[in-house]
Amino acid sequence: MSSSAGGTDDRGRDRGKVLSTAKASQAIGKRSLLPRDWKGPSTWIAAIAFIIIVFSIINPRFASVENLRNVLEQASVPLIIVIGTTLVILMGSIDLSAQGVMGAAGMAWILLSPNSREAIDLGIWAWVIALGLGLSLGLLTGVIYAQLKVPSFVVTLGTWYVGLGLGTLLYGDGLLPSLTNQHLASWPTRLTLGLPNAFWLAVVVVVGGGLLIQYTHLGRGILAVGNNESIARSSGMPVNRIKVSAFALAGLLSGLAGILATMQIGSGSPDIGSGQLFTVIPAAVIGGTALSGGEGGVVRSTLGVFLLIILNNGLILSGVDPNYQSGVFGALLVIAIVAVAWPQRDRLKVAK
Amino acid sequence: MTPENVPVLKLSKISRSFGNVKAVNAVSLEIKKGEVVGLVGENGAGKSTLLKILAGMVQPDEGEIEINGAKASFRGPSDAFKAGVGVVHQEQSLFLNLTVAENIEQRSSPRVGLSRLGLQDWSRVNREAAEVLDKIGVKLSPKARVGDLSFLDRQMVEIARAVCIDPNTTGTPLIILDEPTSVLEQAETAVLEREIRNLRTLGCVIFVSHRLDEILRICDRVVVMRSGRLVSDQSTQGLTKEALFNAMVDEASHTVPQPRTRPSRQAKAAIEVRDLTRRGAFRNMSLSVYPGQIVALVGANGSGCGELMRAIFGAETFESGSIEVNGRRVARWSVRRAVSAGLAYVPAERKVEGMIGGFSAARNIALTHPGEAAAGPFLKPRGLASIAQSWFSRLDVKPNDIRRPLAQFSGGNQQKVVLAKWLNSSNLKVLMLDHPLRGLDVGASQIVNSQVRRASETGTAVLLIPDTIEEAIEMADEILVMRDGELSARHDLTSNSDLALHDIVAEMV
Repeated sequence: MSSSAGGTDDRGRDRGKVLSTAKASQAIGKRSLLPRDWKGPSTWIAAIAFIIIVFSIINPRFASVENLRNVLEQASVPLIIVIGTTLVILMGSIDLSAQGVMGAAGMAWILLSPNSREAIDLGIWAWVIALGLGLSLGLLTGVIYAQLKVPSFVVTLGTWYVGLGLGTLLYGDGLLPSLTNQHLASWPTRLTLGLPNAFWLAVVVVVGGGLLIQYTHLGRGILAVGNNESIARSSGMPVNRIKVSAFALAGLLSGLAGILATMQIGSGSPDIGSGQLFTVIPAAVIGGTALSGGEGGVVRSTLGVFLLIILNNGLILSGVDPNYQSGVFGALLVIAIVAVAWPQRDRLKVAK
Repeated sequence: MTPENVPVLKLSKISRSFGNVKAVNAVSLEIKKGEVVGLVGENGAGKSTLLKILAGMVQPDEGEIEINGAKASFRGPSDAFKAGVGVVHQEQSLFLNLTVAENIEQRSSPRVGLSRLGLQDWSRVNREAAEVLDKIGVKLSPKARVGDLSFLDRQMVEIARAVCIDPNTTGTPLIILDEPTSVLEQAETAVLEREIRNLRTLGCVIFVSHRLDEILRICDRVVVMRSGRLVSDQSTQGLTKEALFNAMVDEASHTVPQPRTRPSRQAKAAIEVRDLTRRGAFRNMSLSVYPGQIVALVGANGSGCGELMRAIFGAETFESGSIEVNGRRVARWSVRRAVSAGLAYVPAERKVEGMIGGFSAARNIALTHPGEAAAGPFLKPRGLASIAQSWFSRLDVKPNDIRRPLAQFSGGNQQKVVLAKWLNSSNLKVLMLDHPLRGLDVGASQIVNSQVRRASETGTAVLLIPDTIEEAIEMADEILVMRDGELSARHDLTSNSDLALHDIVAEMV
């Protein structure tokens, strides 16, 4: 029975119209001091402030400048990935490939930069090739998704392993390749204007992502496709091109994240991205980017990343037994997602 | 602008068939600048197909379209748009997460300046949208998010978008409004009517509505379609509502069937609905269906029949009023509770809500009430097969293969299986059917109808939303007519058998 019930609940044709009237009148009834786009983020800024205060009381070292820099550096890689992921999620798709693409791009980069294994140093070309690899993996994903109409969930799961495979292949059975150029290896941690370089790189990406969504046809197109793909299509928007572009950008950013992570560690590994997906996807969701597409944005995903990184860092400094950390982190994650999703629950039930 | 004497739209003998059905049959029509033309007809008269042809969504088999004196052939919606045809569809098609300006400009924006670089030129987009909104006299901020607007305001954005045609189009725009008022409240409708009259100054308008008084108020001319043909084209000057619906309903082809003999009414209603209300769908609806009785709910699109039936089944909510099943008032109503109380619902959207296409026909039959096929949490394959086989032979389901996935059956045979799913209950108290014969051929229709009658003869209360009024008269003991969410008339067919068809149509519009 539940099948029929679910169906009847969801898809009354005329019902949608009626409900949207009700929804609109509700929206008008509610007046808020804050403009709509800031309501979500302001809640999260408050939440982050609260967590910071709690952790600072538990361990004063948490609020130290060193730890702040530490947090910012830790947040850099997930911040770069989350921008690409957000673009894809805003479009109503999902990108699970980040970790694999990071592995492939990171390995490609280190093997072409001054490293302990081989004497090839292509300098800037190492960057171009590694980023190009990320971009190509993203392009491939996008084309398969848009042209062959395979669900993005499946395609990107595939790209993840393709990337991982490429990384492993590049790793081969040789010695661990580590960066021999200390200047390069210390770049992410070195400070510019008091903050780590890695973080500045993330800032550039975040700001770029925000501008892309607000001020480009691609960005607006991503939002349009995320809201209603069939309307976008019938209005003559280049839907397939938008889809491919979003995945290509996500691939490029994952590649960049892979290079940065490799630099931070100082040595190459196909597993360089391990665990990132677990931060990035929940961060986007916690921030309030709807998995159904169209709603959310870069600011929210960024705050989501900070929330999770601070939570993680705080737990470590609070002296939680490392054996419990994963469990506690996971539980907090579920609580956070439920808390965020709860107010939207009713809306989602009606709308989708 | 084209000279005044050239019609903005000229259709010559446009035809379009779907299978054996001529949905649009040799329709010719001319519309001049400044005219508002009403298009009316019963459900299935071919209005939607004609509109889709004009919007470029469907291509005609024969005939010619001329726009502003030039021959036009639309291969897709964007061709129609380029020719200057703006359409407001029955279903709103706006991006709720984008701004008013973006929704208006989204197709017409020329690629110049910043735009050529792939950048969004907000100041130009906002300015141009403000001009369009100003031109049609709508006070809305171009920067407002469409999702935050009321339904009426969104409808205005739709109109602005239809008006905002391709800047390269030199001719007079044709604006098509497909039932824009069907979900609006009275006061909102007045605003929209004023708006439509304003559009006259910009171009010409085709206005589709089921509400005839509205058509007579707004339009200069009204054309009537019946079974794919354009049967009447006259000025609204001096035209009466009666004359109009007489033109819509072809009395000759409507032989009123004789109602069947009815069982005597029992004391307790199987289902009793009192003052059921949900804003925007139905208001103060009361009805009762007794065991063995068949009640038909009729109404035009947007009358609220379907919503009411779904609310009774627990599939949608209601704001006030009550439902009593077998004399007991229900609380916390849901589909699960409705089903265990003996209610059944054959939905209009069969493929989406009525069946699981990937399951075999047999499993679909045993989906809700497995009966003797159930053994605790398991399904007994042999019991399942015997139940399915018996329904297959009783309902003459073809092909006779109970293991075949239901999606691979024809529509009529799918509907038989959907019906069997509910009839397999040992406790069927109320059977509700929403357009059960939609898309069915004569044979399948007869089988479905005879099964519904049989259920009613064994004491099941039946609530039916028929496709046609003839179907209602043929099947029902009582007809309830709904208009705009309210009960507009009630006909007891057991005492009054010479009910005139067009009386009911009059009560619907």
